[in-house]
Amino acid sequence: MTTFYTKWGAMLVAMSILSILTYNHYQQDLATLSPQHILESPPAEEVRLLGMVRGGTLRGDLEAGDAQFDVVEEETSLPVKYHGPPPENLRELKTLVLIGTWNPTAKVFEARDIGLVTNYGFVMGAYLIGLLPLVLIVFSMSRKVSLLYTEIKESTVYQPE
Amino acid sequence: MIHKAIRRIQRLKGWFGGGAALCIFAGLYLGLIDSPPDYYQGEVVRIMYVHVPLAHTALFAYTVLFGGSVWYLWKRDPIVDNMCHACAALSAIFTALALATGMIWGKPTWNTWWTWDARLTSFIVLLLILIGYLMLRTFIDDPEKEARYAAVLAILGFVDLPIIHFSVEWWRTLHQPQSFSIRGVSISSGLLVPLFCMSVGMSLLFSYMLMVRTQLLYLTHLLHAKKGRLLSQFHLSKADS
Repeated sequence: MTTFYTKWGAMLVAMSILSILTYNHYQQDLATLSPQHILESPPAEEVRLLGMVRGGTLRGDLEAGDAQFDVVEEETSLPVKYHGPPPENLRELKTLVLIGTWNPTAKVFEARDIGLVTNYGFVMGAYLIGLLPLVLIVFSMSRKVSLLYTEIKESTVYQPE
Repeated sequence: MIHKAIRRIQRLKGWFGGGAALCIFAGLYLGLIDSPPDYYQGEVVRIMYVHVPLAHTALFAYTVLFGGSVWYLWKRDPIVDNMCHACAALSAIFTALALATGMIWGKPTWNTWWTWDARLTSFIVLLLILIGYLMLRTFIDDPEKEARYAAVLAILGFVDLPIIHFSVEWWRTLHQPQSFSIRGVSISSGLLVPLFCMSVGMSLLFSYMLMVRTQLLYLTHLLHAKKGRLLSQFHLSKADS
């Protein structure tokens, strides 16, 4: 049984290392701010803003990479000025992640890039539901096989009376 | 002949387990950290690296069950029947997990957890066939009859596999068409490498699990026999008659 538990300990270590590496890789993308958060405590550095493009507010020259629109989340709305690569996913009523800085004098969010909503919760959920049961099943089956071997070795052969 | 082959493969069990762990860890690293997000789906595309290999393995597992069932009906080999029994449970697990991960992928991409699409429906039919198979094996007392009926059910259920495979071509479905077909590969190499690693890893993992489960069923029978339970049952049935 010692070899068995050593093997599974090594697996656990490898899984932990992979989880830490993955978390570090996505850590910078995990934090997104809402329009309300930006208005309440304006950030000085570059941030990721999450919200939906309000219908009827999108204007500008999209092919040239210039656009102005409002981003809304619940009740709060924030004006956005986009200047960057021609946006392919920018359209009204679409929820997006905008990367840029808050201009406190002009009271506008100046975005330099647009990303899709990351949906990390779905990705994490799929990996946990897909892989965790398999790991647990393999562990319990292998353990049971080891225990059965011991039990068979120790059990006595049936002797009819 | 098949006994020798099974015994030889059983000796390689550790290699299958190690290979599966190696491929899956490599696939997870490449899929979660190294590969780029998809242009249209973004980060959600990473669900593909777990969902598609699970679905492929579920189909592979059922194919093994089908092959084993045909062999059993032909040769009436109890070792192969034992393997089929083990294979059905594992196939059901892989099918259920493929469905669950597919549902999670469906929500952000199709905006629904479930739809009665041809691919999804035929896949859930496969799960029902496997549940039926496992129930059948529980309800029949005579082991020979149980094995025979289960093999027939597994062979009949195999009809569902081509339906699953071609459903995206035969009907207009929400599910995306095949990425690998005779027309070529419609997926970029950045996404293909982790997908390949995970698919190989899952197939090896299934093979490893099949060996462990077959061994588990065999050892359970052996323990019962050693403890005399089978002999006792034999004496009891003799006394009754």
